[in-house]
Amino acid sequence: MPRPIPTLSGGGERTGQLMALRRDPLALFRRVRDECGELGHFRLAGRDVVFFSGPTAQEAFFRQPDEVFDPQPTSNELMRPIFGDGVVYDAPPEKRREMIRSPALRDKNLRSSAEIIAAEAERMCQTLDDAGELDLLDFTAELTIYTSSSCLIGKPFRESLTPEFSRRYFELEVGTDAIGYLDSSVNIQAFRVRDRARERLTELVSAIIRERQAMGEPPRDLLGILLSLEDEGRRRYSDSVITGILISTMFAGHHTSAGTAAWTLVELLRSPAGTKPVVEELEAIYADGREVSYQALREIPRLENAVKEALRLHPPLIWLPRTALVDFEYADHVVPSGSIVAMSTALSHLDPDCFAEPERFDPDRFAPPREEDLAHPWAYLPFGGGRHRCLGANFALMQQKAVFSVLLRRFEFELVAPPASYVDDYRAMVVRPKQPFRVRYRRRDA
Amino acid sequence: MRIHVDFDLCQGHGTCQQEAPRVFHVDEREDRVVVLRPEPPESELEATRRAVKYCPTRALRLEE
Repeated sequence: MPRPIPTLSGGGERTGQLMALRRDPLALFRRVRDECGELGHFRLAGRDVVFFSGPTAQEAFFRQPDEVFDPQPTSNELMRPIFGDGVVYDAPPEKRREMIRSPALRDKNLRSSAEIIAAEAERMCQTLDDAGELDLLDFTAELTIYTSSSCLIGKPFRESLTPEFSRRYFELEVGTDAIGYLDSSVNIQAFRVRDRARERLTELVSAIIRERQAMGEPPRDLLGILLSLEDEGRRRYSDSVITGILISTMFAGHHTSAGTAAWTLVELLRSPAGTKPVVEELEAIYADGREVSYQALREIPRLENAVKEALRLHPPLIWLPRTALVDFEYADHVVPSGSIVAMSTALSHLDPDCFAEPERFDPDRFAPPREEDLAHPWAYLPFGGGRHRCLGANFALMQQKAVFSVLLRRFEFELVAPPASYVDDYRAMVVRPKQPFRVRYRRRDA
Repeated sequence: MRIHVDFDLCQGHGTCQQEAPRVFHVDEREDRVVVLRPEPPESELEATRRAVKYCPTRALRLEE
């Protein structure tokens, strides 16, 4: 006889735990784990959610193929208005596979990407004064728009981007209120802003496409490839679908990388040793004048561990939901078909059984002999796990190495607000550092 | 040293083949890897370790 899955106490009559998810998702997940154990059940408006916690349950969660736990229908409602019809979540499985395996997204472009990112970081540095103050998230978000557009879509596309594109893109990300899992068309401010931004982005991309079509020989980047695909002599994708593919191509790597860069620097600045150990490491490595684009693909242990530790404490995606397509058995329990199933990276990363003093920023936990990430592969999951583990993980780490190789050697930074005032903003499912997120900077060679 | 592939996880992205083409092969039409050298020789160990490290789905393991 299967044992019933414990149900979490409290919640609204009709909305279930939806308001708790919008208010403080990590507190909700912690309560499920503490009250219910490995598997816990709660209602989210009209849906049943079964929440998996602990490395053993999380391994079972991530091992399932799409036929058992499918990521598509769960996030479809939230993301469809952002990407548009026929893109990524809205595409059938064969089409998704084709998109994922597109050669433009493969690792072999990593080397040229490292060069581009280093150059974009230098370019951003040139826009700064010798000394001043900046909002770190605004800075990293703008830099990441340039790096991801340039690397993943193409240099000509990046050069067509205006500050408006970056602003509109940011508005899309804010439009990921948790209500969107259930109904992404309700009339709330975040969704109204999102929809206006999406329309405007299509107009901006359409203008870029028209410019390209007027060129003698359009460049062979991702946009060029998408424009060249034909079925029976007609272009395969409309302007709107292409805009959606471009938005989605940049989406996964944008807010995530921007937030991680901002957090890595702030966590280093508020740690006892500051940025000093990493700066010394970089100075030693680059003493021979080697290129950032060369080294970003190689090991920079202290910096990498600082980035990994920022990802542990501030995973950009705090929960990963799927939909159970069949009844699923786990430890005498049966998860009913049709349930939303989910795990939380943020909660998992604070598990004291896997991470010593989990609340403490301690990059050395990833260095030998401790290597807590390797010791607990189903607990340390900043890029998710299983078949859908982030395809951009290698790109993302390379990018952080390239950006900090430039930034930390050009500038010194310090916090301007009390260290404890730097916190995450959980108001949208796209989690970000809560602004203002300001630092003071001073050019080293000034 | 022996290569272990977790076929629950392998999706045939081919990163391993790019890192160690003499050890791994992924056919364009297949969605899983074929290990050409299950016990890679000394000369291939470094490339094999990179393949394990950079596998997007963490499907590879190198066992003593």
